[in-house]
Amino acid sequence: MNHAYSITAAELAARGRDDIPPELLSSAHLIYSSPATLAFNSPGAQGFGVKRAGLAVPGSVMLLVAPACCGRNTATLGCEASLAERFFYLMQDDTDIVTGRHLARIPEAVKEVCDSCAVRPSAVMICITCVDALLGTDMERVCRKASDYAGVPVVPCYMYALTREGRLPPMVSVRRSVYSLLQPREKVPTSVNILGFFSPLRDDTELYTLLRSAGVRSIREISRCADYEEYQKMAEANFNLVLNQEARHAAADLQKRLGIPSVELARLYQTDKIANQYRLLGQAVGAEFDDAPFRERAEQAILNFKNTFGHRTFAVGEWLNADPFELSLSLIRNGFAVSKIFGTVGGSNFVYVKKIAALSPDTKIYSNLSPSMMFYDGADAHCDTVIGRDAMYYHPALPGVAWNDERQPFGYAGVAALFDALGKALSGKEAAR
Amino acid sequence: MKSLLKHLSPFAPDQSGAVSALFDFGGLIVICDAGGCTGNICGFDEPRWFIRKSAVFSAGLRDMDAILGRDDKLVSKLQNAMDGSGLKFSAIIGTPVPAIIATDFKALKRMAEKRTGLPAITVPTTGTRHYDRGASDAWLELFKTFATEKLDIDSGTVGILGASPLDFPTLDAGNQLSDALKKGGWKSVKCYGMGAGLDDVKKASSAAKNIVVSPAGLAAAKYLQKTFGTPYEVRCPWLPQQVLDALPALAGKRTLVIHQQFAANAVRDEILKHDATSQVDVASWFMMESEFMRENDFHIESEEAFIEAVANGGYDTIVCDNRLRVALPRTQAFQIIDFPHFAVSGRLLDEVK
Repeated sequence: MNHAYSITAAELAARGRDDIPPELLSSAHLIYSSPATLAFNSPGAQGFGVKRAGLAVPGSVMLLVAPACCGRNTATLGCEASLAERFFYLMQDDTDIVTGRHLARIPEAVKEVCDSCAVRPSAVMICITCVDALLGTDMERVCRKASDYAGVPVVPCYMYALTREGRLPPMVSVRRSVYSLLQPREKVPTSVNILGFFSPLRDDTELYTLLRSAGVRSIREISRCADYEEYQKMAEANFNLVLNQEARHAAADLQKRLGIPSVELARLYQTDKIANQYRLLGQAVGAEFDDAPFRERAEQAILNFKNTFGHRTFAVGEWLNADPFELSLSLIRNGFAVSKIFGTVGGSNFVYVKKIAALSPDTKIYSNLSPSMMFYDGADAHCDTVIGRDAMYYHPALPGVAWNDERQPFGYAGVAALFDALGKALSGKEAAR
Repeated sequence: MKSLLKHLSPFAPDQSGAVSALFDFGGLIVICDAGGCTGNICGFDEPRWFIRKSAVFSAGLRDMDAILGRDDKLVSKLQNAMDGSGLKFSAIIGTPVPAIIATDFKALKRMAEKRTGLPAITVPTTGTRHYDRGASDAWLELFKTFATEKLDIDSGTVGILGASPLDFPTLDAGNQLSDALKKGGWKSVKCYGMGAGLDDVKKASSAAKNIVVSPAGLAAAKYLQKTFGTPYEVRCPWLPQQVLDALPALAGKRTLVIHQQFAANAVRDEILKHDATSQVDVASWFMMESEFMRENDFHIESEEAFIEAVANGGYDTIVCDNRLRVALPRTQAFQIIDFPHFAVSGRLLDEVK
């Protein structure tokens, strides 16, 4: 192994989804750790991991019950003053991790945490890690006991990295946790929740306008809830819009507990597919959306970019607000070239690989996590523009955009914003990082 | 509650210390975890990781790997990554997962050496102890594995043991420590872990002396003394200039110095140089070697104990990482002089992130 492994889209499509080479399967090799992969190796290290996500409930605090190593990076998250005051740690020692004796201390720790807060927390989120996964801890029971003892809702958040490729990965589980405090309320037909992200959609997202045109008055996202009461109003929603499949499990739980049905939309960058999705949403909610002006704006942004910068050849990473394969397909369909994709191929995006193979068979696919990426040479790029924070790391000399802001792009507004950002980056008007 | 942190966040753990000790030697480092520990170690505790390519990997353990203890699978992955890579050895670092399932690290070492044909180091860290314990174990293992030959002593060569970015708040600490010793007359200085390479480790027995700059280096120094007769001296020949500049003003005052013990002792020595009547206590959250402690020095057992010690100590000044300020009542009247400690705050004097 002395060069970075890659496979062309044509070769990969020909092998089929059941014969993905082991170099692209994270379970088949050691996982390379570079700054390009930080978000994948440790979802909590940057952006929203379980720890920060668990604090999405307004007014809540988090008690991390774990060995010290699991809480270490929280110091970085805590740099944001408002978050720093919301993290507490009950550290496990060697005896705890063998005997589980730390569980008996949790109720008292929860009470001590609540007593130390200037404002009593709305809830205490207990974050537990691989240790309790292996000990088989019944944290629901421990939380009930702690709740009775401290007089505050206590909710478990499972940061079980060991189960990342299992049925209920941590980022799926934590989405259920943060909505689990919602209590039944009378339904309000003009109220809708948006589930999926821990930060709001961009303000210019057309979804807000389209929903309002259909008579929706209240559109709630957990990240926009000012306080616990506002958060509880999410229970009155007529339906949930799920914009990230990691929220599917939470939506199913809300349907079961509170009777709120859900509709799922994907984040796409192909404008015709976005249009199709809105048409289907309209049918589901009994409305006809006029999305033409928004689509026109997005397609105009693509055209403007193309007219200004001509034919560009992209490298697309996966540390960004998009599925790298769907975004690459969108670029190719819009007349650009994509020479490289750094992504994780799986069941849900293999369909895009096949379509890319048909239009751009020589596009190379790399796995960020492959040990061979230690030998990746960005100087031999065969591309002139990059999208994604990882792709930027590999090609520091090339212009591009990280496209991983916390404000979430979605729909036509997301497409337009991406091309506007690319235009600015290529014009040198804005530092892309 | 002793194990509860209400103001501070956890300090660098033993697994980070082990990686930090081994980072500079051209080996393949595998962290025996599911991914999160690797992200923490690299993304937070190893500042050198951001500025150069390194062969640090996660074992990518999943629940069934842990339940079934699939060591053979781990070693196969390790072998595949080593093949043709040009890396000189492998190192497997423990985390809470192998600690719980009682992984046999000695067996892993043997398996890895057999499969790769290269030396392997294993450090059974658990994630529950502080960085200096892991670093100490890793240093010891490194010298036991590679410093096997008794060479002729070069009277002009000195080794530095215990230096890492977790102990000294600058990536240039290796050069600074080396320069300080060269000014003292040494011709060749080998700062293990921050400058000296694996070949220097192999030739460790040729050093006339070792200087131990943090408690993490003490076990390796004792090993080298026992094995090759190399004498060692505990002292910290360099401190950051911004800290030194602030110390004259502390003459005659009551001061508490909180850092890794040997750096803190060096700060005390500097203060006492200005005024021998000054009252200076040293404390550390990390290893405190009793033979280098003075009366009133103490180990900080918990956040609660730290707050109480400061409240009752009557100190005029505390020399410590500024991060510790958040745990102290704003009403208390004392001055804090910032001496960054990366293992505490993740801050360097020369910020690289």
